[in-house]
Formats: sequence, C-alpha cells, structure tokens
Amino acid sequence: MYSVNYHRAASVADAAKLLKSGDAKLLSGGMTLIPAMKTRLAAPSDLVDLSRIKELQGVKVSGKTVTIGAATTHHDVASNEKLKKACPALAHMASRIGDPAVRYKGTIGGSIANNDPAADYPAALLALDATIVTNKREIAAGKFFTGLFETALKDGEIITAVTFTAPLKAAYEKFRNPASRYAIVGVFVAKGKDGVRVAVTGAGDDGVFRSKEIEAALTKSFTAAALDGVKISAKNLMSDIHASADYRANLVAVMAKRAVAAANA
Amino acid sequence: MNYDAGDYAASLDAAMAAADYAGFAERKAAAAKKGKLRGIGMSNYIEACGLAPSAAVGSLGAGVGLWESAEVRVNAAGTIEVLTGSHSHGQGHETTFAQLVNQRFGVPIDSVSIVHGDTDKVQMGMGTYGSRSGAVGMSAVAKALDKVEAKAKKIAAHLLEADEGDIVIEDGALKVTGTDRQVPWFQMALAAYTAHNLPGGMEPGLKETSFYDPSNFTFPAGCYVCEVEIDPETGVTEIVQFVAADDFGNIINPMIVEGQVHGGVAQGIGQALLEGTRYDASGQLLTASYMDYTMPRADDLPSFKVSTSNTPCPGNPLGIKGCGEAGAIGSPPAVINAITDAIGITDIAMPASPSTVWAAIRATKH
Repeated sequence: MYSVNYHRAASVADAAKLLKSGDAKLLSGGMTLIPAMKTRLAAPSDLVDLSRIKELQGVKVSGKTVTIGAATTHHDVASNEKLKKACPALAHMASRIGDPAVRYKGTIGGSIANNDPAADYPAALLALDATIVTNKREIAAGKFFTGLFETALKDGEIITAVTFTAPLKAAYEKFRNPASRYAIVGVFVAKGKDGVRVAVTGAGDDGVFRSKEIEAALTKSFTAAALDGVKISAKNLMSDIHASADYRANLVAVMAKRAVAAANA
Repeated sequence: MNYDAGDYAASLDAAMAAADYAGFAERKAAAAKKGKLRGIGMSNYIEACGLAPSAAVGSLGAGVGLWESAEVRVNAAGTIEVLTGSHSHGQGHETTFAQLVNQRFGVPIDSVSIVHGDTDKVQMGMGTYGSRSGAVGMSAVAKALDKVEAKAKKIAAHLLEADEGDIVIEDGALKVTGTDRQVPWFQMALAAYTAHNLPGGMEPGLKETSFYDPSNFTFPAGCYVCEVEIDPETGVTEIVQFVAADDFGNIINPMIVEGQVHGGVAQGIGQALLEGTRYDASGQLLTASYMDYTMPRADDLPSFKVSTSNTPCPGNPLGIKGCGEAGAIGSPPAVINAITDAIGITDIAMPASPSTVWAAIRATKH
C-alpha cells in the first residue's frame, strides 16, 4: 500500500469538503477499497472516512417507510429488530453477506456505491424499488445501478441513506460461488402494493437487472408453481470458470422459485 | 517387491457395515421423495508406501538411497534426545516418536525430546513423504534404541552384579528378572557418564546412531464408501456419509492416525468436488487466489466414520504400514463413483463442481 492522507469526517458537509482534496476517495467499511489499495489497484492520495458520522448511522422504521443510513453495517442491518419485522427479507439477506468480520465493517452505502456485480444489496434495493439519497439528490434504484461497478453517482456526491416502502412479501435466495462465496446468482423477489419486482445479482453481464419473465409470471400468481416452465434466456448472462451462462440462467429460475416459496412461508 | 500382508476382506466388511450398505436402497428412495438423487460409491485401494529399499529405487533410476537415519542420545540425567532425519510438519512426530521411546524404556514421555529439521544437529536423513516416517524413520529410531538398550543392560548388569541376559527394562528401571533388584533408568544413565564403575573396556556415555534401509515397500490398503445426495436443480453434491476402513498395520497413536485420515479424505474430497487449476487460452492462470480456487472448508465436509484393522507389516521391526496418504488416495474414486451412481452415468470430470454435475444431469435428459 502506498502512503495516504487519512481524514476522519465529522459530518457529511465536512466529508464533501475534504473530498475535494487531491485525488481523495471516500472510505466506509473499506471492504473493497482497502484490499484494492493493498494490491495497489487503487492509490488515492487521501481517504475521507465516513464511518464515524452519526447522521449516516442506523435503521429507522416509520410506519411502512424504512430508512437505512449509508454507513450502517451489514451486522446492524441484520440485527435490527424493527427491520426484522418490517422487512425480514432484507435483514436476513444482510445476515448472509460475506463473513462475520465483513458484516461488522462493511456498510450498505459502501456496497451499493461499489456496485460489485456479485453483491447482494443491489438486488435487494432494485427489487424493493428503493430510493438512494445523496447529499445532492434522490435517485431511484432503477436508475442508480448503471453497469459493472458503475452507478449514477457524480463526482463529489455522497450517499447518505437508502429508503424504501416495506413490501408485503419478500425473500432473497442466493447460490454461492463455491470458492469466494459471493453470489453466482442471487434473486430478490418483492411483492409490494404496486406489484411484483424481481432483481437478479451475480448473473448479468452488465450487473444487477430485473427479470421481466419472472415478474410477469409472479404478477399472475405469486407462487413457486407459477415459475414452472418459465425459461430464462442465457443471453446477456455472465459466463466464467465457475458457471456458464446456461447454468446461471437455470439458477436464476431455481433461486427465484425458492425465494417465492420462502416469501410465502 | 511383493505385496506382503493385509486383511483386505476385513476392511471391506468393516466399511460395508459402517456404511449400512444394505440399507442404501431405502435411503435412495427416501431421498427421491425429497427430489434428491442419492448415490453410493466405493473404492478399494492398495498403495506402495514406506519408501523404500535403496537398491530397488536405485535400479529404478533414483539418485539417492531411501534409508532413514536416527540418533538417540541418553543424557547424564536420563533424559533422551531423539534426532531423526524424518521431518515433522504437522504429522506429530514429536508425539509418536516420543511414545516409541516411552513404550520401550518406560521413561516419562516429557523426558524425551525429538529433534528434526535442524541440519546443524541432525545427521543426513531422507525426510518425510511416501508415508515413510513411521515405517522407515521410526524403524531407524527403533534400531538405535536396540543399541542403547543393549549397552544400558550391560551397564545395569554390571551395577547389579547380574547376568546381562537377566536384565529387563520396565517402568523406567532396569530390573533383574525374578528379583526385586533394580537400578532406575536415570541412575544407569548417570553411571554411563560418571564412568566410575563401568564394565571393563566399555566407552563412557550412552549415544547410538543407526541407518535403516527397508527390505520392502509397505502396502497400506483399505475400503472407502461415500454416499451423496445431489440437488438436480442446482447440481450441488452433499456428502451425506463417508466411511474409511484402513489396514495400516501396527499403530502407535490412534488419534494421530485418525487425524491423518481426516486430512487426507478432506484433500481427496477437495480434489473430487472442488479444486481445479484453470487457465485461459493465453495461459493466464484464472484460479490464482482462494477467491477462485476452491479449497475444501469445514462446511464442505461431513463427519467421517473412520476405522482401522491392524495386520502387522512383516517388512519392518515395528510392523507399521503408514497412513499419510491413504485418505487422499481412497476418497476421490469413492466420491466420483457415488456421483456417477446417483446420476446414472459412467464418468464425470473432476472437480465435479455444481455446474459440472448440473450439466451432466442435463445431458442425461437429451
């Protein structure tokens, strides 16, 4: 790792100001950035640490509205009692990210800002039709995730929170890469009052995406049986040493079926 | 070289019983009701270990002899240092080699220290591989212990004014058989070094060296039975039962032997299901870290049912066959046979990863 100037931001405004120094990067849990710096794939001049900013912390549930501060760790999302009642699917999903060490450090804001194509949160937020709140504006999840490791965030923009309306039913099922244990395919299904949304992570060659075939079938009947015979095209799916596009297409259907069964359980 | 001794049927019978082979059809039917494909696979292996008679490996073109060396130093206080050419990197020589000395002389196990891997101290040796540390390395120690014992008995016979042939060593003392006359081990050792009262012409001190060259390979053998359940929707293979029944000859430390089998079976299951080195068309290694190379982890493995039978090996003085590689040899074919049995095919490439298994299942439907 090269030497770097470390700044602990006191507030979001302070962080925005510090972010203008040199080639600065925002640091939250550091689960991706620090390894990238250690291997010298990233070499920022300055790090602006968001993890101690109070206003970015914690889960709030108000009626059906859930708001999660950007610097809330996966552990705090997984163990929040109000969230477990309002949207147990998201709490359960967070409880299965990485390993305990990752869950105690990694944050929701860091995960979605990085938009790793195998990360879990992008699928959840897209299926939950969440809104990503920054220090400048609000962005719908459908417009936020724009490609592999790409988001709609502009220079100097800082995610402050994620907010969504709790679904009627939801569940997430993932098939793990046997080596890294990241999702080879993760499917988040959510049935809200405005309809069914299904988002898939790990599989798309351009990152997280909504499966229109599955959404259509589940809109007719929100049951696992409704997905019998639904074929997922392997087109635009990733193919690598762990899973061919055909295999991923199969897993999308299987994980969707299991997620619906879990959501209905 | 000839296969020497082994009770192959005993391993087969033990494995079949532990695996409840007879009850498999019922378990397969129960799995089918859950939508799972259940299969059972067996492998019977025999290997050539205890490397190796030097003349034999020389005739095969080896540039070295495969004997092993040992040195046993009995210090003036009676403590014992064993210097061995067998290196210990997790195999527990510090325990088993000390047990050998304890069993022979009855001295406390913590008065025995094992020295290995230090070329400033240890004479030339040939190392640890081919399940040779027990069969060859410990045989070299045993040979040096023979020499120590012979001299110790001479000293004790002299001190006790008895016939050397009447001296027995037990419980940390040298005793005149059939009497209550004895000299403690440490007192005999001190006498060797004070040299005030040794048999005429005897050199002071008590330190012996040996080189042991085996007369044959050793032939551990066994029977492994693996039972799997495959999820046909995802191709995930779960090992629901794994049985290893081995004939390792005489065993010095059952717990260490069991640990060696566990490690070997984990490695073999890794080879069968998980591990594979992959390159792209340009020669770039794609499995360069554990993010892509699948090492077996605890949650990939079942609890193993392990047992041994113990046909003494006639080729070395301790009757040891060796156990270091058995697990890794017997397990991959057992796992693959279970998978092919579950799917109803005759072959599948290793590693039988979920995607490979899923593709194999799909191919049976076309």
